[in-house]
Formats: sequence, structure tokens, C-alpha cells
Amino acid sequence: MSSKQAKSIFFSGPIPAQKIADDIQKHATKTNIGAHSIFLGQVRADMMHDKAVTAIEYTAYEDMVNEQMQTIRAAFFEKYALTCMHIYHSLGTVAVGEICLFVFTSSAHRRDAIDACNEMVETIKKALPIWGKEIFADSSTVWKKNNESW
Amino acid sequence: MEVQVLFFGSITDITNVTETMVASCADTDTLISQLIQQYPTLSNKKYFIALNQKMIQTNSPLKSGDTVALMPPFSGG
Repeated sequence: MSSKQAKSIFFSGPIPAQKIADDIQKHATKTNIGAHSIFLGQVRADMMHDKAVTAIEYTAYEDMVNEQMQTIRAAFFEKYALTCMHIYHSLGTVAVGEICLFVFTSSAHRRDAIDACNEMVETIKKALPIWGKEIFADSSTVWKKNNESW
Repeated sequence: MEVQVLFFGSITDITNVTETMVASCADTDTLISQLIQQYPTLSNKKYFIALNQKMIQTNSPLKSGDTVALMPPFSGG
């Protein structure tokens, strides 16, 4: 089934709102879907030592992420009754206010879409080798830390 | 025999390169001690090790053509 095929989750730069709208529209023909759940991650202007973050630069071990995602996708389709699942994570620079993560799950009934979407966001943050570097207005940088990390 | 070593995230601040080739290493423990000799501040860092894109928790034998990655805590999303 084409919706279960593995492909890269990476998207160069910020994810445009138009892409999100277009992706929703594409599902209009899949009439067995009764529920979509969408998570959007947006780059926040965190303050650190009186300086505000202006962007995050993302890098990843792309080959490893794409290989891991095949296993993770299979496990999600096993666990949840999903019609389809689409995941996009930005690489490169994403400015404050722009979208860096787009998780989109669809199912016949809402519970599967909602639970799969939530679990996928947690999995992405915890298990995938992706790194964010926070960039400040004065060009100084700090490696981003996720709450779940050591 | 050569092993490819990849560095990611804050580890690249120490190494200043994203990859290097290392010759004759019997296992991952030996490889890490060699890397620490070359980059002493690595010894203070926390990182995961992946061998051929699979996370490893224990010392593992290396063969020519293997890829080892040093990955600091993830911060995607």
C-alpha cells in the first residue's frame, strides 16, 4: 500500500503552511478516513541570557533516521488502525515562527489518529538522531536540548 | 582496514569535522580511546554510538568498511 511506503522525512528549510493545506486536500479522495490528527512544531523565540533565539539550524544522521523510520512506521501501522501517516522534519535553518515539524495521521475513527500522532511526536524527539542548534541575533549559537535528554 | 567515523551535533564543535577515516581498529572501545587521544575533550562528552546505523550499548568488533557514529543527545522537533 503506497501510504505505508518508506521515504525520507526530511524537508529542506521551513515547512510552508500551503504544503500543510495541500496535504490535507489530497486526502479528500480517501473516503474511508473519518479523522485526521496534525501536530505542527513551530520554532519558539526562547530567551537565554537576555538574548532571544532567532532561528534553529537542524542537522541529522539522515540515513539512520530513514532506516529507523521504516521500523517505526511498521510498528505504528501494527499498533494503530491508521489509513496513512505522513511525517516531515525540517533540515537546515528555520526562523522563529516557522514550522519545523509536521506529523499527519489519518484513521477511520479519531482515537487511532490522535494517539498515533501524539506517540509519533514523542518518538521523533526521543529516538531520532536529529539535532537543533539555536541561533541568536548576534550570530552566537547554543545546541538545543530536549526535555527528554540527559 | 579502515572504518568511517561520523560526528554529529555538539561533537562537531570538538572535532571540527563531520567525518574521518580511522585505520586498524579491533573494536569500538579501541576506536573511542583512539578518538579521545586525538580529541581529549571528547572524554567529557555524553554520546550514543551507532555501528552501521544501529545503536550499540556494548563494545563491538569492527571490520573494514564499517561506519561508526558518535551522536550526542538528540534534539529534533
